[in-house]
Amino acid sequence: MEVGLTHYLILAGALFLTGTAGVLTRRNSLIMFMSVEIMLSSVNIVFAAYSRASGDLSGHVFVLMNFAVAAAEAAIGLAILVEIFRLRRSVNVDDLNSLME
Amino acid sequence: MESILFYLFAVLMLGSAVMTVTSRSAVAAAVWLVFCFVNAAGVFALLSAPFLAILQILIYAGAIMVLFLFVIMMLQGPVLPDERERRPWSRIAVLVLPPASAAVILIAWLARGGVTAFSGAQPAVRGTAEAVAELLLNRYLLAFELISVVLLVAIVGAMALGRRKEELPWK
Repeated sequence: MEVGLTHYLILAGALFLTGTAGVLTRRNSLIMFMSVEIMLSSVNIVFAAYSRASGDLSGHVFVLMNFAVAAAEAAIGLAILVEIFRLRRSVNVDDLNSLME
Repeated sequence: MESILFYLFAVLMLGSAVMTVTSRSAVAAAVWLVFCFVNAAGVFALLSAPFLAILQILIYAGAIMVLFLFVIMMLQGPVLPDERERRPWSRIAVLVLPPASAAVILIAWLARGGVTAFSGAQPAVRGTAEAVAELLLNRYLLAFELISVVLLVAIVGAMALGRRKEELPWK
């Protein structure tokens, strides 16, 4: 069977679910970050697939914007993580509960 | 040929994404994620987007993952598997994810007769660097400039977070 838009959408949906599972179940904030990157990446595939289906390159521009947002998110998020590690000596999100107490 | 490559990239990408999510060690997760992004570049290449494929390797598999690995190595402690990896959210994940996966499979089953083939749609527009730059610097010039402001704010923010507190000018 020829590969079409539907195949790419199902791949992106499965990737997004995998990322969601990682964010919900992991306690290591580094791995939670990586799961968010998987979710962003799956959205990029949807943009590129619809761009291919409609014959319009605008989707590629949106993917470029998404690259920049992912890079900014990784830079800021990891800087925050390093700062948290300096204060608490841990990246386990269960240890970050001072606002709950 | 195209479908063989698609299934190859898709299976490898999904498999490495699952390995990223389930790895005990953060270093192993990061290396699996690099492999996942390399396969994403292959998927972009299949979608006639060679420029995006190259940028995926350069930015994601290159810059972002080097940053991740650098931070993991710098933090030292969490490189070792965390024995307290409790999963209090597992119950919600177990409740939510199987129906969501079932929905994906249902969509796949419903679409078995009417898969939108690319060949029947518009003729393929190749997303080369020239073609994307043409759009980026004309129609989407404002968004292009704004995203550079986002990156500038991220640079300044990361530097402000990384400095020692007594060095900050407003302290």
